[in-house]
Amino acid sequence: MKYAKVYGEDVKVGDAIPPLVKGPIAQIQLTRYAGASGDFNPIHQDDEFARAAGMGGVFAHGMLSMGFVAQSVTDWLGAGTVRKLGVRFSALVRLKDVITCTGRVLGTSEKNGERLVELELWAENQRGEKVVTGRATAVLQSRSA
Amino acid sequence: MPIRIDRALVGKEYPAFVVTAERGKIKAFARAIGDLNQNYVDDDIGGASAWGDIIAPPTFAITFRDETADAAALLRDLGVDIGRVLHGEQEFEIHRQIRPGETFTCRTKVVDIQDKTGKSGPMALVTRETVIVDRGGEVVGTLRHVTVVRL
Repeated sequence: MKYAKVYGEDVKVGDAIPPLVKGPIAQIQLTRYAGASGDFNPIHQDDEFARAAGMGGVFAHGMLSMGFVAQSVTDWLGAGTVRKLGVRFSALVRLKDVITCTGRVLGTSEKNGERLVELELWAENQRGEKVVTGRATAVLQSRSA
Repeated sequence: MPIRIDRALVGKEYPAFVVTAERGKIKAFARAIGDLNQNYVDDDIGGASAWGDIIAPPTFAITFRDETADAAALLRDLGVDIGRVLHGEQEFEIHRQIRPGETFTCRTKVVDIQDKTGKSGPMALVTRETVIVDRGGEVVGTLRHVTVVRL
């Protein structure tokens, strides 16, 4: 269930992040993301420019995919839970791609009265190729708090 | 002729710049991602939350930019064209949530340059770090950007 309250006690090592499916990626979304983020690199907007740069056509901002990955965490654990998020962009996301974001719990710990959850994250396209890989740390409330 | 990356850039600090997290920009950013979490887009839900207002999505601080300190400034220093670079890696450390109306000072510096050979040939990985500080001097977040330059 989306946006259910998740407590530290509810999360165990090995738990999977509920998959979040985004896309198909459309040019208008890249234009909208450019406006919202301030990243107007023409390589995400202008197919001719992207081909001339040797990239074979426009592709999505890495940061848009990272936004999807972040959403997969906060859809599950809640807004404001992400303490650290780091990713590597391992393949380009193209127009019409459908991106599925998921991951799993690597570890849980308590520090200064907070419950920390270590996550492995990834996003893949419709061919099963990983486009983003990464890690995150989320902080959750305890049921007893 | 292959591009040569000037290692002397490591340690370079760009001019500090000041940004304000605008309510409309937070919502537009969330919507551009297609993330309609109510804590990002609904003022009533935000107002009733522990934060007392809407908060920004985890990657929102990427919008904190200034042309004296952004990727284009880095490219000018590297002497490379925008068509030669890719975003390789990105990291956010979030010490506290960003709310509308808050003003921050951002400081970006080049912290590392590494050579690597990738699928498409030789490349340089340039890492910049941006520290975001609030008006009280508290660090609210740190960003690490790794830019891949195809040589």
